[in-house]
Amino acid sequence: MKTFADLQFPGRLVAVEGLDGSGKSTQIYLLKRWLEAEGIKVYFSEWNSSELVKSATSKGKKRELLTPTTFSLIHATDFADRYERHLMPLLRAGYVVLCDRYIFTAFARDVTRGCPPDWVRGNYSFACAPDLTMFFKADLDVSLNRILDGRPKLKFFEAGMDLRLSNDPYESFKIFQGRILDQYLAMTKEFNFVIIDANQPVEKQQVIVRKLVSDRIDLKKFKRRSLLPLPPSLRSRRQEPDKEELEKEEDKEA
Amino acid sequence: MNNNTHRFYGHGIPQVDSEALGGRLIVVEGADGSGRSTQIAELVNWLETSGHATVQVGLKRSTLVSEELQRAQAGNVLSRTTLALFYATDFADQLENLILPALKSGFIVLADRYIYTLMARDMVRGMDEGWLKNLYGIAPEPDAVFYLSVEPQELVQRNLSKTATLDYWESGMDLGFSRDLFDSFLKYQAAMGEAFRQLQKTYHFDIIDANRSASSVNKDLRKKIGALLVEL
Repeated sequence: MKTFADLQFPGRLVAVEGLDGSGKSTQIYLLKRWLEAEGIKVYFSEWNSSELVKSATSKGKKRELLTPTTFSLIHATDFADRYERHLMPLLRAGYVVLCDRYIFTAFARDVTRGCPPDWVRGNYSFACAPDLTMFFKADLDVSLNRILDGRPKLKFFEAGMDLRLSNDPYESFKIFQGRILDQYLAMTKEFNFVIIDANQPVEKQQVIVRKLVSDRIDLKKFKRRSLLPLPPSLRSRRQEPDKEELEKEEDKEA
Repeated sequence: MNNNTHRFYGHGIPQVDSEALGGRLIVVEGADGSGRSTQIAELVNWLETSGHATVQVGLKRSTLVSEELQRAQAGNVLSRTTLALFYATDFADQLENLILPALKSGFIVLADRYIYTLMARDMVRGMDEGWLKNLYGIAPEPDAVFYLSVEPQELVQRNLSKTATLDYWESGMDLGFSRDLFDSFLKYQAAMGEAFRQLQKTYHFDIIDANRSASSVNKDLRKKIGALLVEL
């Protein structure tokens, strides 16, 4: 699998993966804040967030219409929409793109749900590999406690209830997350995950994350430059007062 | 062919035993104006009168995504991979909720288009054939696939006499072959015909000359389908 750097894209893609409650979203958020403050052209994209596909996904989830196959396909559709609409153009324009979950989430979850690994991987084969994938590895109990401590109402698919692992959503969630973790760990080598010990304090992890990113990516190349000077033809137009503005002024005077 | 089982093209659907799929799966393919709906309506009539239970499926009819797909298409905002996967989701939803249960119960399923149209459309838009074959490995192999073949010039006449215009998507206007609807329609239908010929190598459709009257086409179809029903 080729990375964006291998394919000479001007941009770079950094992905974080891990179980719910591993703290990966916090880490990528802090990474984004830092890159923005450094003046880097950065874009953040979340799993399952394409506007167009969202209404179908939430209907499917609410009404429990999804099977392992349609669950997999609808998430692939969502990913493809974000990939083609946002990620590709941004990567071509030299952005650092940060992804909270990437195709490996599908590889782990959909296979846990019973989809054949080759089929899932084939469907996502249009996507390039990230230039850096960080896997946040927390002890299963730590992740589970982070999520379950608040005794949240676990959603049907989130808890893996469709797999009929247990009638108790909490029990089901635990078994489901354990199986996903196994899938992730089995992929670590194949996809060059950099494993981050997510049992450490947030600050410590963030230091490691920032170091990794700046070692892997020559960040100064991604700085937002000040706007290019406009060509003379446009410059003169910009200096002219806007027609609408003038009209507004006249209105006021009247 | 074994009489009461079906095979999947690829991996199939998790936890579905293809051996348990009885019934018959009959697919009618062809462009808009090739007479698909007329033929299917006639076949349903004939099958039900002869005592066979039928179920009909078609594209963009799923509970899960048909509305969203319709909306996305109206805005013409989806890129090709996204559109391909969205249609595959629509197909999979109907496959699992209609086609497979109906086959398990021994129904005759009539599909107004199937994976081949979806694959041909995507191929014309530059998607990789191997990628599409993997994606649609979830589909069971039909007992018969009839491709109603009509010359593009004749399709134009039929579409215009029905709606007095040519459909945006059936003319492949998103591909930018031509700004002229008429030209684009002919070019797109020719490209679709080419894609079907390419798929024919793998999927062996029964190509039916549908430049004829509906009743003479139907007579052909009944004869061929009749042979598939002997053991039911």
